[in-house]
Amino acid sequence: MLASSRRKSSLAFLQPYLLIAPTLILVLMFNIVPAFRTVNDSLYKPARGLNAAGKPPEFVGLQNFRDIFDESHYIGGRFLRTFRNTIIFAVATVGIGVPLGLLMALLLNRHQPLLGLWRFAIFYPSLLPLIGAASIWSFIFSDSIGLANAMLKTFGHPGLNWLGDRNLVLLSVIIVNIWKQAGYFMIFFLAGLQNISRDIYEASSLDGAGPLQQFAFLTLPLLRRTLLFVVVISFTFAFQTVEQLQALGEGGPADSANLLLYLVFQNISERRNWGYVNAMTIILIGVVLVFTLSNFLLFERDETQR
Amino acid sequence: MMLRRTCFVLLVLVMMMTIGTASAQDEIVVDFYFPSATANDAEGIFQRYAHMFQEENSGITINPVFTGSYTDTRNTILTELQGGGAGPDAAVMLSIDLYSFAEEGYIIPAQTFIDAMDNGDEYASDFFPALMANGVDEEGNIWAIPFQRSTPILYYNADLLAEAGYDSPPTNNAELVEIAQALTTDERDGLLVPVAGGFPIWMYQSFAIAFGQNIVSDDPTEVYFNTPEAVAAVEFVRSLGTDLGVGPAGGAAWGDTPVAFLAGQAAMIYHTTGNLTRILNDADFEVGVWYLPSGPAGEDGTGYGAPTGGGNLYIFDDGSKSDAELDAIWRWVMFLSSPEIQADWGATTGYIAASASAWETEPLASLVEEAPQYGIARDQLQHVGKEFSSYATITIQGIINKTLESILTGEAEDAQAAMDAAQAQIDGILAEYR
Repeated sequence: MLASSRRKSSLAFLQPYLLIAPTLILVLMFNIVPAFRTVNDSLYKPARGLNAAGKPPEFVGLQNFRDIFDESHYIGGRFLRTFRNTIIFAVATVGIGVPLGLLMALLLNRHQPLLGLWRFAIFYPSLLPLIGAASIWSFIFSDSIGLANAMLKTFGHPGLNWLGDRNLVLLSVIIVNIWKQAGYFMIFFLAGLQNISRDIYEASSLDGAGPLQQFAFLTLPLLRRTLLFVVVISFTFAFQTVEQLQALGEGGPADSANLLLYLVFQNISERRNWGYVNAMTIILIGVVLVFTLSNFLLFERDETQR
Repeated sequence: MMLRRTCFVLLVLVMMMTIGTASAQDEIVVDFYFPSATANDAEGIFQRYAHMFQEENSGITINPVFTGSYTDTRNTILTELQGGGAGPDAAVMLSIDLYSFAEEGYIIPAQTFIDAMDNGDEYASDFFPALMANGVDEEGNIWAIPFQRSTPILYYNADLLAEAGYDSPPTNNAELVEIAQALTTDERDGLLVPVAGGFPIWMYQSFAIAFGQNIVSDDPTEVYFNTPEAVAAVEFVRSLGTDLGVGPAGGAAWGDTPVAFLAGQAAMIYHTTGNLTRILNDADFEVGVWYLPSGPAGEDGTGYGAPTGGGNLYIFDDGSKSDAELDAIWRWVMFLSSPEIQADWGATTGYIAASASAWETEPLASLVEEAPQYGIARDQLQHVGKEFSSYATITIQGIINKTLESILTGEAEDAQAAMDAAQAQIDGILAEYR
């Protein structure tokens, strides 16, 4: 009797670990171990050279990081430009896409004819497979046969080389990204708006608040958590952009529209660049981590204040 | 009871596995990866070839796997092999991928198989020498067999040229510019050269060769990217979109170019022979095809220039494959490179059939009589140069592409300075191999 109860208690001790084991193993295998390997490999120059005279991997300390921040190095020139592009891209997507999503949510958060159709039309782009949508846009932006230039030409403009002009490609990719994501952000804002009780608006109306005051002092503060969430995921999305670039000029002439993760992807095929690929990945993860952590801290502060 | 049931299940499993292995031993499966770079039904064609091959070779099953673009194919194979996977047994990859794969020890030379043939020399010398150049190492060993090969050619809208009073295509750069300017209108570009969109090096090489200096040689540790000829060539390409004003600044995009040509929005284009069949089928005007015009390299008219392009057949082995398996793979490669299949492939797609005897084989022999355009690409082969390939090909090609893009888009105004900087980076990489 005693023995069996002791066995039960030791099993009970194991139980939680057994239950999380499947997840833990997956996280270890696919997250933790690769992350440590990335850090480790970023300190090495990969094996290279010919079959017979091949050189094994060589420990080089932080040399890979120095190279990717060296403007005159073949990888550094590309990395620095791409890093700048990624920041511009993130700021533009968040700075325009998020307010646009909020605006559309405000417009569609009331009774009006064809409400379902409007909501569907605006949300629809985020249902499309990204690579397909971007391919359609590549036709729209096409120099000689594209819809964008056909429209410009009806206004007497000679047309723009959307995907060929180094000053325009990044803008083209930003336009597609905002078009794709604004509807998705709208859904979060709509959900947030519908959680706000109608009563407080009625009460504030009685107190004489106009629509602008209601937006500034009621809607925005009450949407704060949704807003934070949307800003953080849109920043993270911006750093994970790959598919659009594959269809929209593959990073543009001379990397003028290239973004970090796509640069990593472009350099993965040749073994000699693996050290750089790992170093770039760490920088990428570092930036995303900072955003995610700041989100976490802001949320935590929000919780404790209540 | 429980135990007995478990034993039974295990027994059944073991039996099933044994049967599976037994049947696999009887039959050799050749995994064959192939890309497609044009709007042809490559999947359907390879399924047909696999059936034809299997009827003649019982005991061998061909498993054709479509792997996307050339880049996707290379990346798929590298990812599989670097991750310890099996990879393909044979594949079509860019002819310039040779050193990337040989360096990793993933492929084996076709030379071994050719040496073992009774008529090996005859087999190898049937291929056009220009198409062999990228498949041979610096010691003359053949690694890869030409398969879906191409070269850029000049397509021209013969109706538009005739309207403007030109009854023959331009044969040198001066005529090219003259005709292109005469045919440029607000609605139409006189000449589109697809150097925009990430891969200008191939088209650029046409000009470099015509200006008198190919950027590569037979030595995979040497690249000539900052010579006066190389600089003059890129400046000429840039001027097409600026001073000469016959096309968009920065060049045209690869996929847009044939579309604009077919829509009558471009009078002349540089494009791959791989699109010949499609363009001939879809055009509602008379399509003319000619050699790429000659540059300063040949005032006597012999300075034509174009690189070869397209894909070769590679054989994969890390040393673990049996003789029977290697024999099956080689038979499949021989079959695909036979005159019959090359003639069919060339006629169906427009790729240049790689061997001389294929051009005397049906259906290509009669096609080239009906549509002489097919023969132009073949005849241009006597003037073409090697496509860019060196050690660290992918990285160096990337440096060259980025440099060309920055010059062509006008970001780097001083072409010489940009190309000097690129050459220094390239020499830094190649120093390891010298």
